[in-house]
Amino acid sequence: MSIKTIGLTRYFDKLCAVDNVNLEVGNEIFGLLGLNGAGKTTTVLMLTTLLKPCTGEAYICDFDVVREAGEVRKVISYVPQDMAVDIKLTGRENVMLYARLYGVADRNRRVDEILGLMGLAERANDRVNSYSGGMRRRLELAQALVHEPQVLFLDEPTLGLDVAARRKMWEYISSLKKNGVSIFITTHYMDEADKFCDRVAIMDRGRIVAMDSPSKLKNNIHSLSAKEPSLDDVFMQKVSAEGEQGGFDDYKFRTLLRRRK
Amino acid sequence: MREILYYFERDLKRWTRSRKSVFSSLAMPAAWLVFVGLALPIRFTDNYLDFITPGILVMTMLFASLQGGTLLIFDKILGFLNKFLALPAPRESILFGKILFIAFRGLLQSTVILAMAILLGVKMHSFMTVPLTYLVLFIFGVLFSAIATTVALLVDDYDSYSAMNSMASMPLFFTSSALMPYEMMPQWLRVIASLNPVSYAIDTVRALFSGNFLLDGMVELTAMVVVVLMVSVYVFRKATV
Ligand SMILES: Nc1ncnc2c1ncn2[C@@H]1O[C@H](COP(=O)(O)OP(=O)(O)OP(=O)(O)O)[C@@H](O)[C@H]1O
Ligand SMILES: [Mg+2]
Repeated sequence: MSIKTIGLTRYFDKLCAVDNVNLEVGNEIFGLLGLNGAGKTTTVLMLTTLLKPCTGEAYICDFDVVREAGEVRKVISYVPQDMAVDIKLTGRENVMLYARLYGVADRNRRVDEILGLMGLAERANDRVNSYSGGMRRRLELAQALVHEPQVLFLDEPTLGLDVAARRKMWEYISSLKKNGVSIFITTHYMDEADKFCDRVAIMDRGRIVAMDSPSKLKNNIHSLSAKEPSLDDVFMQKVSAEGEQGGFDDYKFRTLLRRRK
Repeated sequence: MREILYYFERDLKRWTRSRKSVFSSLAMPAAWLVFVGLALPIRFTDNYLDFITPGILVMTMLFASLQGGTLLIFDKILGFLNKFLALPAPRESILFGKILFIAFRGLLQSTVILAMAILLGVKMHSFMTVPLTYLVLFIFGVLFSAIATTVALLVDDYDSYSAMNSMASMPLFFTSSALMPYEMMPQWLRVIASLNPVSYAIDTVRALFSGNFLLDGMVELTAMVVVVLMVSVYVFRKATV
């Protein structure tokens, strides 16, 4: 198993951001879906050794993320949710830094290759402060992909990318999968998850409320409603069914207003 | 080990590509030397410029090192640190890269001061004075840039870092032997000054300028560097976000 978690849990003070998560991810594209604040990034941070779980265990390629963190870092690549590229350096310098830090062999060729793949070849020698937002995002992907990891973590990688870049990224990720890489991705785009992910998990306030292939998830609610369901429908059903106590309570709100008079 | 140079090169490029910050960091210490050494109305010793130059050199290194902690703070706030910490490169190479860059930049600033001091006629004992002075300043810079970078890793935001920075830097400087000889100090200040690591560096450089070599000062500073680096490496290896 590339990724395995057993009862993975993380609190921030009283708030349970990740609640008893059990996952097994193999050589596949695995999508983690959830509303803002569901706990996706927190999960990724624990799996990439950046945050310690409160309880539970997690293994990447059989290495414990806490006790064997150094080994874990050798087999992963990670693209964080927030962009961080050096605007004073050129695109090539940005990618070269990571190629060197990952210890990539045959760096020059590899850096050019990945810049070309991300559609940045012509602008590679320009400073990044002249790049557009989407180009910076592509550069960030190039930094992670310059190394050929066994497990790739992508936290909302397609945010702000145009259609062409998005398609290229997914094609590249699919080819990585064929080469044996496991991909763990979080996204808010249901259509992408539906099209490209082998399996998805839906996370709601720290808990996994559904996990299966997109088509199975859709089939399961097919029996409940008449029209052809999309992954959006699955998502809204799973999340709102769980979300009642904490959600917007019409009745309580009205009584609250009445009392204030 | 090579990773240290990669991190160093990144910071160096980022710095040198901003002309304004290069200019201001080189001009500031020179202004200090002129102000304190020539313009200040008080004189604690006969040739005050000779006396104050070692103090200004060490002060420059001290402020450069403490200021250097903000490099890591910004890497942290802007999300670079997260990416670096998840890389297979040993995490302490982030620390050593910062130390190397901060000390290097501090030594460049010191060079400006040394050059000005020589132009202004400050006497140096022998040709060995300059390289040995660099060595002392480097060790001293490593000490404080390691402390600054490690503190920066542990605090959450820029404001608390700069608050701690200003709380530490001025007292460290003014309770050292930078501005006046020990004989001129009040008793309480003499005690503090003789314990202050900033004084060790200043006294050692001052001795070099008059042709003596204070082995004690070097040994004490080096011992402190070893202890601080061990703690810092440990903290970096264990760091979480
Ligand atoms: N450092 C922190 N300190 C305190 N609370 C935190 C911290 N990081 C995250 N949280 C909380 O944990 C919960 C999960 O956050 P997380 O960032 O994992 O959500 P997410 O699913 O990635 O959301 P988004 O889609 O907005 O990126 C949120 O309620 C958030 O407020
Ligand atoms: Mg997130």
